[in-house]
Amino acid sequence: MAALRQVSVAFPRGTFTAVMGPSGSGKSTLLQCSSGLDRPDSGAVRIAGQDVTRLREKELAVLRRDQVGVIFQAFNLVPSLTAWQNVILPSRLARRRPDPSRVRELLHRVGLEGRERHRPAQLSGGQQQRVAIARALLGRPEVLFADEPTGALDRSTGHEVLALLREAVDAFGQTVVMVTHDPQAAARADSVLFLTDGQIVDVLDRPSADQIGMRLGGRR
Amino acid sequence: MTLVLAWNNVRANRMSFAASFAAVVLAAMLVGGSGMLVAGAGARDELNGVMGLLVLSAAVSGFVSIFVIAGMLSLHVLRQRRTWGLLRSVGMTPRQVRWLVTAEALVLAVLASVAGCVLAVPYAVTMAEAMRMTGLAPVGVPVEVTPGPFIMALVVGLAVTLLAARSAARKAVRVGPLEVLRESAAQRRLLPWPRAVIGVLMLCGGSALAYLVPQVKPVAAFPAGLGAAMALSVGASALGPIALAGIGWLLGAVLARLDPGAGMLARASLITQPRRAMSAASPVMLTVALACTFLFAVATSDAAAGVVRTGTSAWAAPMMVGSGVVYTVIAVLNATAMTMTERAEEIRLLRTVGTKPRQLTRAVIWETLIVTAAGTLLGTGIAVVCLTVLGKAATGVPWFAYSLPQYVGLVLVCVVSGLIGGLTATRRARRGVLLPD
Repeated sequence: MAALRQVSVAFPRGTFTAVMGPSGSGKSTLLQCSSGLDRPDSGAVRIAGQDVTRLREKELAVLRRDQVGVIFQAFNLVPSLTAWQNVILPSRLARRRPDPSRVRELLHRVGLEGRERHRPAQLSGGQQQRVAIARALLGRPEVLFADEPTGALDRSTGHEVLALLREAVDAFGQTVVMVTHDPQAAARADSVLFLTDGQIVDVLDRPSADQIGMRLGGRR
Repeated sequence: MTLVLAWNNVRANRMSFAASFAAVVLAAMLVGGSGMLVAGAGARDELNGVMGLLVLSAAVSGFVSIFVIAGMLSLHVLRQRRTWGLLRSVGMTPRQVRWLVTAEALVLAVLASVAGCVLAVPYAVTMAEAMRMTGLAPVGVPVEVTPGPFIMALVVGLAVTLLAARSAARKAVRVGPLEVLRESAAQRRLLPWPRAVIGVLMLCGGSALAYLVPQVKPVAAFPAGLGAAMALSVGASALGPIALAGIGWLLGAVLARLDPGAGMLARASLITQPRRAMSAASPVMLTVALACTFLFAVATSDAAAGVVRTGTSAWAAPMMVGSGVVYTVIAVLNATAMTMTERAEEIRLLRTVGTKPRQLTRAVIWETLIVTAAGTLLGTGIAVVCLTVLGKAATGVPWFAYSLPQYVGLVLVCVVSGLIGGLTATRRARRGVLLPD
């Protein structure tokens, strides 16, 4: 049973795309294949012109470190590292020394000022999520992949997280791909992909939350 | 009902019980085998000396086994926090949880003690042959199979496991019903005060015993010296997390400069979870402390008496220490493997943010090396103290003989078992499919 069948999709640079669909429709698989976390059985995935399905594990690691940022619904952070250390981890892995003032500014922007030295266990789910976003923003990766980034958050924290993703696109020209269940969240994207049974069945450009709700089957 | 649950738990967690099983088998085998040899030697005077040594080494092994098995069972209990929490949340009383953990240990003890009894016969035959060949025993030791040693082995196997299970059972009871809901164990206190009190008491007792060694009768000096080493080891193990956090902080700071990514990871995990790290450092410390004290005290008394052992007879004392080293290998393998398996999810996360396979391997290696280095340092310190007082008892001056190759060999065994345990346990997470299935 294939999770994805004959899906051909491009995420143009500097755009925000939301992926929606019922559970089991293959939206997470699409995200995992496009971000190089999983390999498709056939086909190709190109990030900035490079086919990631042909890369070896070491090259994939470097790609994930420098060009791709991932944000999951939960378990985003290394438990033994502080918030600050989690943010600078990819840079340290690349033997780079990130500018401390920029790290401080990023943590301030995601609303975590004064929590730099806290460990994940001392942070709430939303705070952990925002540390992961700060980590993804620090390296200015080409693409940011987010799997249900607002799924575990309350409404206002979810709004802040979406605003940060939007800002990454508008202010820094990064590309964001986000899987979500929430029409409100998807309405912040430039375009929304609808997946069913492993195939793209529809694409809406700049839809409102109501349009998305209608498309999902009028369950609103 | 509880016994059924216990039996199923042991079956379902075969891997996590395997090491404890092996350790109990070993304990029963050593006690049974040594018992047979002592019974065979009977009242023959010419065998008194070597039998005394044999009984002493069996006693040391028994002590090591309680210590090591207690460590392994605690690790099992900590890993199964969610199970205890779940059972509590469906209405199990603390008393029943304690009985469940004890029953698991009982299942383990019965199976392992029987296996140990079976293995005791070949062990006794091999040891008798080895003692004759190395010249440790002036005449051949006959091996007699009588029920006595088997009963002793069974009793010791059961007693050792049940004693070891006590602290593990108490730990399980402390897990509340809400634990099921928690993502991971919250940061626990570095040193709960009962543990601190035990540690300080044991260190004081061990120091007092060490101080007394040169003053007691020569016959009692050797057992007293070993006893001091045991007490100091228990104390150091209880207070170990503090030492380990310190050592990890120092060595880790150097490492984080040399190897920024991997070093930072190794350092952070040691500083935040020194108790977890101590479960692997403790057996290393205990082995280095006891094996060095045993080996080099024999060497010192030989040197004092002007005895020079050459050829096969030089291997007599190392052979007796060998059984203790097997415990270390099992315990270190188990501790590193268990603590590393727990972190499969963390390793996958590290890969998703771009840690290269080699960096992950290095992080695991650094962490293991720091942990074994800490254990070796503490163990060596304890051995030096005990050997100095034993040397004073034997020769009148604070001096002792030692063999660098034997010491290095011992440390290498610990380091290699740690590395094998850590690297094999993380292999799947480091190399396998990135997404958990």
